[in-house]
Amino acid sequence: MTAAAGRVLILLALLVSSAGAMAGFAAGARGSEAGWRLTRRLAYAFAALMAAANALMVWALLRRDFSVGYVAHVGSRSVPDWVAVVSLWSSLEGSILFWGLVLGVYVTAATRANRSRHPEYMPYAAATWLACGAFFSFLLAGPAQPFATVPHPPADGPGPNPLLQNHVLMIVHPPFLYLGYVGMTIPFGLASAALLRGRLGHDFIRPLRDWLMLPWIFLTCAITLGAWWAYEVLGWGGYWAWDPVENASFLPWLTATAALHSALLTERKGVLKGWTTTLVMATFLLTILGTFMTRSGVFNSVHSFTQSAIGPTILGFLALVLVWSVILLAARIDRFSPEGQLLGAASRDGMFLANNLLFVLFTFTVLVGTVFPLVVEAVQNVQMSVGRPYFDRMAVPIGIALLLLMGVGPALPWGRATPEQLKRALLPPIFGALLAAALGAMLGVRAPWTLVALGFGGYTAQVTLRELWRPVARRRAKGAGLGEALVESPRRSRRRTAAYVVHAGAALALVAIAVSSTMGTSKELQLREGQTATVGAYTLTFLKAEEVREPHRDALVARIGIMKGGRDLGVLTPRMNHYESQREPVGTPAVRTSLFEDLYLSVMNIDPAQGTLGLLAMVNPMVAWIWGAALVMALGGLAALWPGHRAAAAVAARVDPRVPAPSRVAAEG
Amino acid sequence: MLIAGLVGVLLLNLGRDPHSIRSPLVGRPAPPFALAPVGGGAPVTSESLRGRPLVLNFWATWCAPCLEEHETLQRAGASLGGDVQFLGVVYEDEEDRVKAFQRRYGSTYPSLLDPDGKAAIAYGVAGVPETYFVDAGGVIRAKYAFPLNAETLAENLKKVGR
Amino acid sequence: MRTIAGAVLLAALAGGVSAQAPADDPAQVVGAPRGPRLQGAALESHAKEVAGLLRCPVCQGLSVADSPSTMASNMRAQVKDLLAAGYDDEQILAYFERSYGEFVRLKPPLRGVNWLVWLAPVAGLLLGAAVIAWVLRGPRHAAAERAAGQEESGSERADLPGPDALPPDRSLAPYVLRVRERAYGWPGGVSPEGPPASPAAVADHAARDRA
Repeated sequence: MTAAAGRVLILLALLVSSAGAMAGFAAGARGSEAGWRLTRRLAYAFAALMAAANALMVWALLRRDFSVGYVAHVGSRSVPDWVAVVSLWSSLEGSILFWGLVLGVYVTAATRANRSRHPEYMPYAAATWLACGAFFSFLLAGPAQPFATVPHPPADGPGPNPLLQNHVLMIVHPPFLYLGYVGMTIPFGLASAALLRGRLGHDFIRPLRDWLMLPWIFLTCAITLGAWWAYEVLGWGGYWAWDPVENASFLPWLTATAALHSALLTERKGVLKGWTTTLVMATFLLTILGTFMTRSGVFNSVHSFTQSAIGPTILGFLALVLVWSVILLAARIDRFSPEGQLLGAASRDGMFLANNLLFVLFTFTVLVGTVFPLVVEAVQNVQMSVGRPYFDRMAVPIGIALLLLMGVGPALPWGRATPEQLKRALLPPIFGALLAAALGAMLGVRAPWTLVALGFGGYTAQVTLRELWRPVARRRAKGAGLGEALVESPRRSRRRTAAYVVHAGAALALVAIAVSSTMGTSKELQLREGQTATVGAYTLTFLKAEEVREPHRDALVARIGIMKGGRDLGVLTPRMNHYESQREPVGTPAVRTSLFEDLYLSVMNIDPAQGTLGLLAMVNPMVAWIWGAALVMALGGLAALWPGHRAAAAVAARVDPRVPAPSRVAAEG
Repeated sequence: MLIAGLVGVLLLNLGRDPHSIRSPLVGRPAPPFALAPVGGGAPVTSESLRGRPLVLNFWATWCAPCLEEHETLQRAGASLGGDVQFLGVVYEDEEDRVKAFQRRYGSTYPSLLDPDGKAAIAYGVAGVPETYFVDAGGVIRAKYAFPLNAETLAENLKKVGR
Repeated sequence: MRTIAGAVLLAALAGGVSAQAPADDPAQVVGAPRGPRLQGAALESHAKEVAGLLRCPVCQGLSVADSPSTMASNMRAQVKDLLAAGYDDEQILAYFERSYGEFVRLKPPLRGVNWLVWLAPVAGLLLGAAVIAWVLRGPRHAAAERAAGQEESGSERADLPGPDALPPDRSLAPYVLRVRERAYGWPGGVSPEGPPASPAAVADHAARDRA
């Protein structure tokens, strides 16, 4: 009954979204207001149907209704209710259903926000979104049916993957990932609309940029949460392994970041319209490629869902979207007429181009590395691997270059500059660079790349602080007090301030990554009960090993007493979990996070009967700073998106002669 | 054009199971080993097995597919035991459990213990069951990484001349 | 019956055994040890490094250094033994490659088609830089064309307001003047010499003014 109802909802969603797509394309071609209204209604209907289907599934999961195929696959009577809810996205079919929900929410928001704006673009955009919605509905109706009826419902199910029950981060990471991934459909639709229309007007760049920024924020959070989860749960002490599915989430983030910067140039100077559009299309393509990589079973990875018929279908969609993008771009890109020009390489314009080059290069490299083993296997029938050592080797120079670019770019003025200006802009932050590098050296940093990263980080920090201070200084020069200046400047040039905040976060993240990768210590210890060992500045005492029984798992817990500098820091309890459905036990490390470093303990082997423990003990510096920096980036992005004071400021400018319009533009520089 | 290539590659790879590793050892000499049998005794060396085809089956008591193929192998071991040498190698398991398993399910040929996994590593074992078919001259002619049944066993035995 | 047969078999096999039967000897596979025999802390840290270059065959993408599985821990032990015996990195990698194939090496070795994956990023960098150079060179030509175009259409400019005209609404005048000042750099927006020379000069002046 439930299963049938769910199937009906999905079919209706398929019908509605297909109809909406057709209506939208027709409305766009004819410029029909009624047609646009119809498209909007169909879009809202699609979202409502998806929401209903998801609600139905959650209800079935909570009720442990094993007559529904997906519930029989991941449901279980022995897991708590929150796990039952979370299993909505834990496995293939449910995750596609969730994709549909998120898409519906985004389409509703984007349609509603623009319902009376950009009438020549919006029907096309909505049509594109609904066409994507139709594809995912088709997946749910066909190859990836969550609502299949189980003829003989079992009494109980296997429950979701135990790894998903291990940590709270697992609840948060997938929704953020979907909010990021699926969200990229919206700018894709907007870009398609612009291409279909044959023009990218100045008024349309802003919504394109805003709707690119929102999923970007979520994707940044999602990637960080994924890394944090890997760190806290997997037990090997690292946070990024260049696993194909990790790369799948990273690739669209790279092109989206490039697109955001390119869009800024387009907005300011009316150039690079075609390039920005290309990047936006590429971002969406990479999300579809990413979902293919995760779900098709083609890649050997920690994340892979099982192989299924869904693989070829997604590949087909990928091919379709690829053809759509290529044809649109080839046919219409010439119609995008630039309204300005780029001046000179040694200027901020040139640095934006350098930014794009580095991000696209990074994307290209990660893509090649991820796909290369498949190509070799197809062509030469040899199985080979491209793993972490390769990616690290490639990523480090690019990351370091980006770190420097975040400093050099904003330091340079727009347009051509004289050598005198260049010197004045570029030389002073060297002080910051030397200071940071010296500080690092004093604290024991010896690895060359890390010192370089510190130096560049210091350079960028000084430039960023200087740029953040600049409008404050100007306001004070005009007679405002310090407090007033500090509050008013960000409000007036919100986007500019937000951008520098994001840069600060990114620079901090890069430096923290460099330090945590090279400055850690790690030891493998074999301890008997009562024995003590030292790692770094910490003294560890293996107190005892005990067995803990929980409803869904048995665990062997090692109680380790921690002391540092004579102070007792309590007890850490890394454990080894045995789940019924898995042969190899799954360890949960214990992490003690303090401001500058983490003490990381992971059980390698444990025997309560004999009182022995094999422990991996690591001291990882600056890891918490990575998560914090990512949060700063997300907040900065959010600040950039916040409905600004532009409207209010424009009114203020007309009334208040102290605020001349041109300097506001300059302040946004 | 590039895009078509990418899509093509991805398509080609769809049928492939990324979890099965092909063996580079097929056609090469079988790595030598010296492993103690279950129940104790002097180590059995690979050299002593020359002159007859060898079926080397890596297995474990916790492995459900190994149980599936157990009967096929036992029957073959009993009937062909004179002409073909069947040997089991225990993978990541304990002697007591193996003994209990053999008591329960029987064994027509001995199994060897590989406590530090060196033999498994030398043979490139990535999971169980995996069965290596070695000819009389000591060259690996086939590797089968799934549970064997009568047909597949016969097929692979042909490759070592039986 | 079966166990007796088995025992007979074992006895027969064991009979053929010499007291020091060699197990799989790495020297047979990769040649004599080429490197130094490591020990102590150097052995530990180098073993970790080499384990980081090997892919755990039973895991999904993790290195032997990072994987918690039994197979990985056995492989780590073997890496340590090999290093202590004096084999160098390449020999150790080749030893595992003999058993598992190129799959087990996380860093694609520089042979054959693998050169592509190492050179592709470099090629990408050069290509990208070339594209940027082309893009940044273009506008100078475009500017020259535009300047040429403007001279020809000068006659159409008759109906446009003059360079020093002010808007009828007096309250807007200060703003227009300030814009002209900013754009052209002369007080009141009127140059002593006449209209501005080129976009470059305008940009120069604006930049100087801002810096």
